[in-house]
Amino acid sequence: MSVIYVLIPIAILFVLIGLTVFFWAVRSKQFDDLDKEGFSILFDAEKNAPPENNDKPQP
Amino acid sequence: MSTKRCFHCNEPVPAGFHFSREFDGSTRLFCCAGCLAVADTIISSNLADYYRFRTEPAAKANAMPDSLRAELANFDAPDVLADVSRKQGELTEIELSLSGISCAACAWLIEKQLRQLPAVHQVNVNSTTQRCHLVWHSEQTPLSEVLASLTKIGYQASPFIADKEEQQFKAELSRFLKRLAVSGIMSMQVMMLAVALYFGDYSGIEASHQGYLRWISLFLSLPVVLYAALPFVNSAWRGIKARQLNMDVPVSLAIYYTFFASAYATVFNTGEVYFESVCMFTFLLQLGKFFEYRARARAREATGNLLKIMPVSASLLVNGQQQVVSARRLQPGDTILLKPGETIAADGDVISGQSSADESMLTGEYRPVAKTIGDKVLAGSINHDGLLEIKVTTALGASRLGQIINLQQRTLSQKPAVLHKTDTLARYFVERLLLIATATFVLWYVWLDADRAFWVTLSVLVATCPCALSLAAPTAVTCALASLNRRGVLIKNSAVLDVLPQLSHIVFDKTGTLTEGRFSLSSVEMLSQQYSETEALNLIANLEAYSEHPIGRAFSGHLSAELSLQDVHIQVGGGISATYDGRQVKVGSAAFCNVKHQQNAMVYLSVDGKDIAAISLQDALRPEVPDLLGALRRQRYQLIMLTGDNSAQADELQQQLQFELMVKGCSPEQKVAEINKLVQAGHKVLMLGDGINDNPGFHAAHVSVTLQSGSDLSKNQADVVLLQPSIGLLAELLSGSNQAQRIVKQNLRWSVGYNLLIIPLAVAGFVSPYIAVLGMSFSSLLVVSNSLRLLKK
Repeated sequence: MSVIYVLIPIAILFVLIGLTVFFWAVRSKQFDDLDKEGFSILFDAEKNAPPENNDKPQP
Repeated sequence: MSTKRCFHCNEPVPAGFHFSREFDGSTRLFCCAGCLAVADTIISSNLADYYRFRTEPAAKANAMPDSLRAELANFDAPDVLADVSRKQGELTEIELSLSGISCAACAWLIEKQLRQLPAVHQVNVNSTTQRCHLVWHSEQTPLSEVLASLTKIGYQASPFIADKEEQQFKAELSRFLKRLAVSGIMSMQVMMLAVALYFGDYSGIEASHQGYLRWISLFLSLPVVLYAALPFVNSAWRGIKARQLNMDVPVSLAIYYTFFASAYATVFNTGEVYFESVCMFTFLLQLGKFFEYRARARAREATGNLLKIMPVSASLLVNGQQQVVSARRLQPGDTILLKPGETIAADGDVISGQSSADESMLTGEYRPVAKTIGDKVLAGSINHDGLLEIKVTTALGASRLGQIINLQQRTLSQKPAVLHKTDTLARYFVERLLLIATATFVLWYVWLDADRAFWVTLSVLVATCPCALSLAAPTAVTCALASLNRRGVLIKNSAVLDVLPQLSHIVFDKTGTLTEGRFSLSSVEMLSQQYSETEALNLIANLEAYSEHPIGRAFSGHLSAELSLQDVHIQVGGGISATYDGRQVKVGSAAFCNVKHQQNAMVYLSVDGKDIAAISLQDALRPEVPDLLGALRRQRYQLIMLTGDNSAQADELQQQLQFELMVKGCSPEQKVAEINKLVQAGHKVLMLGDGINDNPGFHAAHVSVTLQSGSDLSKNQADVVLLQPSIGLLAELLSGSNQAQRIVKQNLRWSVGYNLLIIPLAVAGFVSPYIAVLGMSFSSLLVVSNSLRLLKK
């Protein structure tokens, strides 16, 4: 069981990394508007991307 | 596909309209020229992704009138711009409030559109609060052009000044998020280690492993105790300094006592550790506080652009020349020019021109007040249809509007105190708990077993840990807030839930609250057989479409077909005339149409001098009001109406609705006085109103409620905002708060009962630490799940 002496500190390291990322996300205002950020992935394709050929009907 | 819908706004396309455009290989139809123009701009500026990814249709767009462009240009005057924005070196920073945002794709669209302007440095749109933060080069591109570029894609933007409080809310909210993350994530880790320790106690564990796991737990709990739990300590400290024990005192006591006891056990390798309880407890309480705070922050953001009430700019006349200046800098003696539809920037006298003004927000009078030379006008009221020249008598700050706002700030400090019941209970509980704990320690140390004294005292404190007690009210309140919010009632001040169950008097405002606050048709009398009623109304609606006057809006719902009119002419204070089909059509007052005055009728229609129809208009009662008042009366509430309106309509309503007390012609000061009378008589009072003239009363009453359609200032000040255009939600609010009260009582009874049971056992030393922790967790769980019942239905 002495493996826990190594594994637990590693786990804690990951936790700390996770917390740091979360703090960064809060500081960069990503939680101010949850709807918009969810959409950003759809739009990031720049305008020279080939136009999509979707003929989805209007909702 | 029976009805065709507009590609842009999804409204039905009226028959006979042929606006269309190619997009993505098929022809799309539009309902109006405005929507088509917006779609054209969007697609041709390479922003068509908006249509591919949006989840909601856009708001119907209107073609940009020239008057709007002129209005926007007012913001370019240097001193007006300085009032609404901040300078950052050579850049200018401004907050805009946007209307027309329907989904997150709109936010993207607006950001893209603004980034195409070379002068724009930074732009960030928040789709939930409908605000935009913009940093740009104001000399390169004036603000009016920025705003106009948004109008082109279908959004109206106006400058916004956030109040200081709101900025503090924002900062505090992100601090809350961080604390929540720390306590939540650390709880998970410590919990995991605690499971290992529990199993170790049953199946045996090497002492070195046990010590290691405890040290790790201690290390992981440190950020929770030293960072996440700080707000509790601060609040407890404030309480102690004010010599008042609040609920945070036992909470912080429990957190720190348990933590230090566990740390002691870890360092000296004796006794038990409770790190997981410390973390979980902090996390759960933090969660409740976070939800409550977020609801309040949302409410604050949703309410009001104060700038919309306080006029921003005015056209100053200097030697016959117009000059746009900041409204705040107007001095008595200045002459200002007022165009139709503008908000009056200062109190003053009319020196030339003729018009009517809407003063309903200030006085409660719903009819437009005629203004001619020599009449007084009030800042904040809206000029309807004529051009006026006004000599300023009082600057904006000292105007009637300014006075009302001041009165409101004065009454703010008089707000009847709402004591949190749980705080009273907490004080009682904490005093006794501390006494019992001290007594237990002394008892064991001196007479029974000095070695066990510390641990028995600890188990007393852990078992009676005020978890359940301190979770009892907050969890119920949080759930009640969420469930009411879902039903359309936004509660900004959660303390009202404590007062509402004891409510005895409900004070209503009339205009805009009990009534619709605008004209609607009450009866149509046909004086000739030449036209049918629908035809006549359609004709009137077509003419009135040219008018800014509020009477005109009463007819907009009756427009069934567009007619082509020529020679449209508006006579201020009279009516509208036009030529239709070669005939002279007139809509307006009896004198204007040259017809005989009919009883009650306000609008007449004549064709070629012949009388066609006489129409009575009225500020109609909201349809849900009689039912609501009936229901409230059955629940034994005393109903009161205080109105600023002095007309006969107040008496008519009193006849119809039979209030226990009705006072008409009330100034804001009188409203406050009437409410104060009730409050001093020991009654609990709720005030429901919508106008600026109700706001001082809001602070005099225990609970204030306003409507979404109310003035922005009211929404900013009220405790509760009803989000749907129905005051029937008031019944929801009352029943919701009664329900919350019931749940809080059940929770309190359970947790007090549990404590009464466990304290004697713990003092006697029968409660082993395991049982203490189990009992504590179980009672907390019970309280939380009981509160969650509020979310159902």
